[in-house]
Amino acid sequence: MLKSVVRAVGAAVRISSATTTTARALPLSCPTLCSPSSATTRPFTRSLWMLSNNGASSTCRQTLFRSKVLNPSMSCGCGELHTEGDKAFGSFLSDEIKEEKKIQKNKTLPKMSGGWELEMNGTEAKLTRNVAGEKITVTFNVNNSIPPNFEEEIEQGQQKSAEDEPEIVSTPNFVVEITKQAAKHSLVFDCHFPEDEMSHGDGEEESDIFAIREVSFQPEGDSEWKETSYTLNTDSLDWALYDHLMDFLADRGVDNTFADELTELSTTIEHQEYIKFLEDLQGFVKCN
Amino acid sequence: MGVLLRNLQKVVPIRRARLRKDVDTLRHILGIQKFDLGIICVDNNKIQHLNKIYRKKNVPTDVLSFPFYEDIRPGKLPCPLHRDELNLGDIFLGVEFVMKQCQEKSLDLHGALTVVTAHGICHLLGYRHDTDDEWAEMLQKESYILREYNKLTGRHLEPLT
Repeated sequence: MLKSVVRAVGAAVRISSATTTTARALPLSCPTLCSPSSATTRPFTRSLWMLSNNGASSTCRQTLFRSKVLNPSMSCGCGELHTEGDKAFGSFLSDEIKEEKKIQKNKTLPKMSGGWELEMNGTEAKLTRNVAGEKITVTFNVNNSIPPNFEEEIEQGQQKSAEDEPEIVSTPNFVVEITKQAAKHSLVFDCHFPEDEMSHGDGEEESDIFAIREVSFQPEGDSEWKETSYTLNTDSLDWALYDHLMDFLADRGVDNTFADELTELSTTIEHQEYIKFLEDLQGFVKCN
Repeated sequence: MGVLLRNLQKVVPIRRARLRKDVDTLRHILGIQKFDLGIICVDNNKIQHLNKIYRKKNVPTDVLSFPFYEDIRPGKLPCPLHRDELNLGDIFLGVEFVMKQCQEKSLDLHGALTVVTAHGICHLLGYRHDTDDEWAEMLQKESYILREYNKLTGRHLEPLT
């Protein structure tokens, strides 16, 4: 039962520590709900860009191809292409990996309280818990789980120290699936962490820590999301019904504490996956 | 028209449906169903922060009210001209602070939240307690609200003292 939990809002790009001074930083008044104080966080050393399909990528590819043709490759006898660019890239990645490992707060994954069991499949995490004949499963994917920064224009010449930089927190969409023993269908909640554009000031316009976006019944154990099942959208829902749904989840261990711990877990997994990706990239770039 | 309920804290488990029902009962008693109202549950840190900013008191508290109408006479309902003025304002409930008081006095949390919400709504309706006279007037109103609430629900709530 894996509805896509990937938030398609943008791609995160990390930049080296050497270039952070020129990077655009998040505003200091980052929404508090997006960065719970107890969550495992780290300095915001990645800039973010919004994906755009204006043809820029294809232009970029052509340019790169031309550069390969015009610039002769170095050869080390392995029969593969190695350029000065590859060498510089490898060196850059080496520094970046060192820097990321230095700021890595958790080497091991934090435990979720409440007896949840964690199962990983690539970037997807599945938390499972059994309560009195009910099985509760929470699934999330750390890909694209870092929200875009609602940054304000930084004044020209303004310098920010590393301590001033907001920290990266992974806030993935997550799907809660509740299965009763006798029932044919599971009740499925599509949840998310609201992005608070309003809470840059003192936070009077804040949203709940997490919110339910949709609710529907789905056949138990089906990997495909059945679009023909009635889906309750919470945008125009009776608020009293919404509160009962939130209480229903809380009774099954999915409450604000859970959501806070989930961001901590997701942040740690995301960072581990990022470092692993950089290491793979380094291995791919350099001469074997 | 309704109650906008937000739970921004993780210290105290809040039964949202119960809280909404209790607030709706208070709105019914006061005849203010046509007005919007915000109820925001926060922890000690947050309410202390707000208390410091808006009241210059750097301590946590049980409730802070932010009226939409700041100069209405106590007991007189506002007369909005536009739809977007059908709003009484926001009440921040310091649920962690209230829970601690409940633990000390062995009280029911949601009963206590109803009492502090009634107090907060009175502030939104122009009641104050800066003087003894104002305090007496507000206490009288709160007593009336909770008496009616007790009649409807069979509970035994009393106003803040």
